[in-house]
Amino acid sequence: MAKRKLTSSDRLLVRAMIVLFAVVFGLFGYDLVRGLVNVQLVHGREYAAKAENGQLRDTEVAASRGSIYDTNMTPIAQSTTAGKVYINPNSFSKIPNKEALLQELCDQLAPILGITSEKVRSQASHTENNYMVLKGQVELETMQLVNAFRNRECILEVVPGGKPRTKGGQPLLDADGNLRKGDDNDKFSTYANFIGVDPDVKRYYPLKSFAANLLGFTGAEDVGLAGLEKYYNKELTGTPGRIVTAKNAADSNLNIQYESIYDPIPGNSLVLTIDEVIQRYLERSLQQAQIDANAKAAYGIIMDVKTGAILAMSCAPSYDPGNYEAIADEATKAKIAAIADPAEREAARKNAMMAQWRNGTIELTYEPGSVFKTITVAAALEEGVVDMSERYTCTGSITIAGRTISCHNRSGHGNQSLTQGLMNSCNPFMINIGQKMGVERFYKYFTAFGFTEPTGIDLLNEFSPTTGINIHAQSRMGLVELASCSFGQSFEASPIQILSAVSAIANGGKLMQPYVVAKVLDEAGRVISETQPTVRRQVVSGETAKLVCGMMEQVVSNGTGKNGYVAGGRVAGKTGTSQKLSAGKGYVASFCSFAPADAPEVAMLIAIDEPVGLINGGQIAAPPSAEIMENVLVYKNIELRYTEKEQEELGGSAPDMSDLTIAAAKQSLTGQGYSVRVIGDGEQVLHQIPEPGQSISKGGLVILYTEGSDTSKTVTVPDLTKISISEANKTAANAGLNIKLTGNFQSSSLVTYRQSIAPGEKVPPGTAITVHFVSNNGIIDR
Amino acid sequence: MPTQAATRNHAHLKEQPERQLLRHKVLAYGGFDFPFMLIVTVLLCLGLVMMFSASYVYAIRHHNGDAYYFIKRQLIFAVLGFAAMLLISKLNLNLLRKLAIPVLMVAFLLLVVVLFYHTDIRGFRRWIPLFGWTIQPSEIAKVALILFFAFAMEKYQRPLYNRHAKDNRGFLRRFFAQWGCTLLYMGILLAMVVLIFLENHVSGTIITLAIGALLIFIGEQRIPLWCYLLIAGVAVGAVLLVFHNPDILPEHAAKRIMAFKDPASDPSGSNWQSTQSLLAVGSGGWFGQGFGNSIQKHLYLPEPMNDFVFAIVCEELGFLGAFCIVLLFIALVWRGFMIALHTKERFGTLLVIGIVLQIGLQTALNIGVVTAVLPNTGIPLPFFSYGGTALLILLAEMGIVLAVSRVSREIKK
Repeated sequence: MAKRKLTSSDRLLVRAMIVLFAVVFGLFGYDLVRGLVNVQLVHGREYAAKAENGQLRDTEVAASRGSIYDTNMTPIAQSTTAGKVYINPNSFSKIPNKEALLQELCDQLAPILGITSEKVRSQASHTENNYMVLKGQVELETMQLVNAFRNRECILEVVPGGKPRTKGGQPLLDADGNLRKGDDNDKFSTYANFIGVDPDVKRYYPLKSFAANLLGFTGAEDVGLAGLEKYYNKELTGTPGRIVTAKNAADSNLNIQYESIYDPIPGNSLVLTIDEVIQRYLERSLQQAQIDANAKAAYGIIMDVKTGAILAMSCAPSYDPGNYEAIADEATKAKIAAIADPAEREAARKNAMMAQWRNGTIELTYEPGSVFKTITVAAALEEGVVDMSERYTCTGSITIAGRTISCHNRSGHGNQSLTQGLMNSCNPFMINIGQKMGVERFYKYFTAFGFTEPTGIDLLNEFSPTTGINIHAQSRMGLVELASCSFGQSFEASPIQILSAVSAIANGGKLMQPYVVAKVLDEAGRVISETQPTVRRQVVSGETAKLVCGMMEQVVSNGTGKNGYVAGGRVAGKTGTSQKLSAGKGYVASFCSFAPADAPEVAMLIAIDEPVGLINGGQIAAPPSAEIMENVLVYKNIELRYTEKEQEELGGSAPDMSDLTIAAAKQSLTGQGYSVRVIGDGEQVLHQIPEPGQSISKGGLVILYTEGSDTSKTVTVPDLTKISISEANKTAANAGLNIKLTGNFQSSSLVTYRQSIAPGEKVPPGTAITVHFVSNNGIIDR
Repeated sequence: MPTQAATRNHAHLKEQPERQLLRHKVLAYGGFDFPFMLIVTVLLCLGLVMMFSASYVYAIRHHNGDAYYFIKRQLIFAVLGFAAMLLISKLNLNLLRKLAIPVLMVAFLLLVVVLFYHTDIRGFRRWIPLFGWTIQPSEIAKVALILFFAFAMEKYQRPLYNRHAKDNRGFLRRFFAQWGCTLLYMGILLAMVVLIFLENHVSGTIITLAIGALLIFIGEQRIPLWCYLLIAGVAVGAVLLVFHNPDILPEHAAKRIMAFKDPASDPSGSNWQSTQSLLAVGSGGWFGQGFGNSIQKHLYLPEPMNDFVFAIVCEELGFLGAFCIVLLFIALVWRGFMIALHTKERFGTLLVIGIVLQIGLQTALNIGVVTAVLPNTGIPLPFFSYGGTALLILLAEMGIVLAVSRVSREIKK
C-alpha cells in the first residue's frame, strides 16, 4: 500500500477491527433489525393499538334526541339533560378498604339512585374495566344528591393505631353532624375517586299519557322501544359525540392536548300531523266511552280526509310513556294485584304491560261489521249493479247456497230503498247486493279499498292481512263467504284500514295513505323533509262517492247512526256492531263518520272493544263520536249550518234588558217565550244572565239582577243524565240554570248522555250547561 | 516536526524552564478530534432533552410537582462533566499513565467498601452514599480497568521471554515470563467482576467482563486467536446455561431472564417494564408521536428516565429518530476506533478502544433491552439515562478520548 495511515501494529489492528465490526454489525445490527424494525415497523400498529387500549378513555357523549311536536309545534316528547353515574371498578379494586366502601355504596348511594345493592356489587366486580354505569338518565335533582355523596369523605385505607381525629380539641364532624370515622393514621379521600358522573339525556313526555300508544317510548339507552320513537329511531337519534382522553396509569386525565372532542350531532325532530287539541278531545271522550261501556278497550282515529294526515289517534286505556312499566289502568292493576301466585301475577303484569303499549288502532283487528256496508254499497253503485232506485224487501233472513243468514231485525225491515237499507243496516239487503255483484267484482273493490294490504302508515307493527287467516282468498271465496263479507263479517281489518277505506268515500273516491309525521326538522329547526299526501288510488268515482256520502248522512240524521249527529255539522257515518267470530266471544261496537257530508274534512273511527251491557255501535260508539266531532268542527272553524228547526231549538241570542224596569223586562221576555227570574228587590235591571247577545235556548231562563242583589250567590248543578229533553229543561229551570242542547236532540226517545258541568258543582245562576242528548230509538244494528 | 503546538508555545518562551517542563508534562498540545467532540456534544444535548421529556411526568408525580427535578440535577452534572471533559482533554497522556495504578487501587477499595457501606435500595449494594450524593464504584471500576489495561498492555507489550533465545531457566520462571501478564490481567478482571457481582449488579458484571475480555483480546497478543475462540465458546455456553437455568443467578436477575423467556408469565410483575417499553417503542411507528407527546411516560412505563429512556425516545421520535440516534452512537464508536488506531502510543489506542467499547456495549445492550430482544439487565443508556455520576464519568472518559485524539496522528490532515 502506498499510503499507510494507521499506526497500530497489524495484529492489534486486525483484532480491533474484528471487535469493531462485531459490535457495530453484530450488536447494533441485531438491535436495529430484531428490535427497532421489528417492534416499530413490523408490529408497530399492534403495539400502538395495545397501548391505546390502556391509555385512552373513550367517553361517549350522548347526542340529544330529537323532539316530537304536534302539528302546532307543541312539544310532546323532549329530551333534557340528565346524568349518568358510573363506578371505576378498576381503581376501586385497588383500594385496600374496598369491602367497607362497597357496603357504604350499597347502603348510601344505591338508595339515592334507586338501584339494588346487587346491581352495585355486580357493576363493581368488573375490575378489568374503568367504566361501569350504575344508573343512566338520572334526573338533575338526584344528581345533586349524587354529587354531594361523591364529595363526602371516605377511608381508602385503614391503618391501625392513630388518635381520633380532632380539630382544635373538638371531634371532627361531617356536614351532617356525624362524628367522622377513622383516625388520623387512616388514608382519606372522597368517593369521587371512584364514583363519577357523565352527562346523559332523558326523555320527557310533558303531556304524560298524551298519544302514548302512538308515540311509544325510549328505553334506558335513549333508544326508541315502541311506537314512533322506535319507527323513527334513526331519525330522532343523533350521532353521539366522543371525548377521547388519554389517561395516565394512575387513571387521571392528562392535560388537554391529549383530548379530542367530537361534538354530538343532535337528532332530528318530528312534527306530527297530530293536533294536540283534537287529540285531547278524542282522548277525553274515548276514555269516558271505554269506562261507560265497561269495555276492554276503545280505539279512536281522526283523519284529515283530503290528505290522510292523522289528526288524532288514541287507545284507552293508555299509559304514561315516562313511566312505561307501570300499569296505568287502575282496574287492570287491581286485577293483577289480586292474583295470589307471584309467578302468575308477574306474568299477568307483563302481559298487561305489553298490552298497554300496543297501538290498537293499527295493530289490532276486528271484523268491521256494518261499517263495511258502505263499501259494499259504494262498490255496487260504481259497478252499476244497483242504482239509487234499487229496492229490496227484508223478511228478516235470507238463504244463500242453502245457508240461512238472518238480519239483526228478525221480523224484517220490510220494503226499503237502498238508502233505507243502509240507514237500517239491513243485512239481507247487503247480501243481496253482494250476490248480484259476484265474487270477482266484490273482491276487486275489497282489494281496491285496501282490505288486502296494510295502509302504509308510518308506524311500526301495522297489521298486514294474511290471506287464509285474516281474509279470504279470492279463489276460496264462495257465495256464503261473499254473503258474510258483504255485511262486514268473516274477515278482519284494523281500525286504520277501515277508516282509510271509508275516508276514500268521503274523499271523492281517492284512497289516501295515512301518515302521522308531517315534517322532519334538523336541530336548527330547518325542514329536512315534508310528507306529501299520497293518493294510493282512485277507488270509486267522485259521483259514486257523493251518492254514498249522502246516504251516510241519512244514516246519521235518521238511521242507526243518529247518535252521531251534530247539529249543523252534517255528519255522515255508519254504525257497526260486529261479533268477534275469530275470538269466539264479545262484540266490537264501532262508528265511522265524517263531516261535513257535502265537503268532508275530517273522518273519524271510534271502536269499542268488548263492551258489556250496551253493545251497539249506535249506542256506545256514536255518542262519543258526536261529542268529539262537534268539538273538532268548532275547533277547525268548519261552519255549522243549522236547519231552521235546529235554529229554533237552539234558540237565539239573549235580548238586551238593561235600563229597563223589572216589570217591562219581564213582560218583554215572557212575550218572547223565555222564563224570567229576578234576584234582588230593586226596580231597575242592572245586570242579566245570559248577557245580551249570548246564546240562549228556546224557553230558556233569563236571570235579572236588581239593586241589592247578591251576585256572588251560586246554585247547585242538578243531575241531568238519563232524562228526557223536557225533564232536563224543567230540572235546569228549577235549579235556576240554562241548558244548551247538543247531540241528536231532535229525535224521539231522547235521553241525556252527558252534561258539561258535573252534578253538585256550584255555579252562578243562569249558567248554561251543555247537555248532550242521545236517542234510544232505531239505532240497533245487531 | 514543527507542530501547531510548538508554534503556539512561542508565547511561553519567556517562562521559567522548569515551569515549561511541568506544563509539557501535564498538558497535551495539538487540537483534539473535532468530529468526535461534535458527536459527543450532539448526543449529550439530545440526551438531556429526551431525558427531560421522559422524566417530567414522573417528576411531577413523585417530586411534589417539580417537573424539573431530574433535569436540574442532570444538567448540573452535564455542565460539570462537560467542563471535566474539556479539562481532561488537555491532560498529557503521561499523567494518565501515572494515574492508572492509583485509580485501580482506589477502584478496588471502593468496590470492597461498597459491600459493607452502601445505600439500602432493594437489596442492591451498588451505591456508596457520600455527602447526599451517591458514588457507584462499578462505574469507577470500569474506567480504572480500562486505564490499567491500557497502561499495562503498553508497558508489557513485548514478551518478557524470547522463545527463540536459548534459555535454561526453570519451567515456572519461563511460564511466568511468558504468561505472567496475561494471568495478571485475567486475575484483576476476575477479581473486579466477582466484586461487582457481589454488589448484586449483573449488568455491571457483564459490561465489565465484556470490556475486560475484549481489551485482553485486542491488547494481549501473546494469546493466539484459537484460545479466544475457546473462551468465547465457553462464554456462549455459560450464557446458554444461565438462560436455561436462571436459578443460579441472584433472584432479581433470574426473574428478569424468566420474564424475558416467557413474557406472558407475569405481565404486571417483573415483565411490566418490558411490556410497557414495547408498547412505547411500538407506538412510535415510523415517525413517532412527536417530541413530548409520549403517552407511555405518563406513569405507564416505570421510571422512564432511567434504563428505559430510549423507549420514550422511540415513541416520540419514531423509528427514524431512534435510527438516527443509533447511527450517532455507531459514529461515536467508529470515530473512537479511528482515533485509537491512528494513535502511535499503544496506551492511547487501548484506552480509547476500551472507552468507546464500553459506550458501544452499553448502548447496544440497552437498546436490546428496550426492544425486548435481550433480557432486562438494567443497563443505562449513555448520555440519555438519568444518573449524575455516570454522566460525569462518561464525560470524563470522553475527555480522555479527546486527550488521546490530540496525539493521534490523525485523521486530521
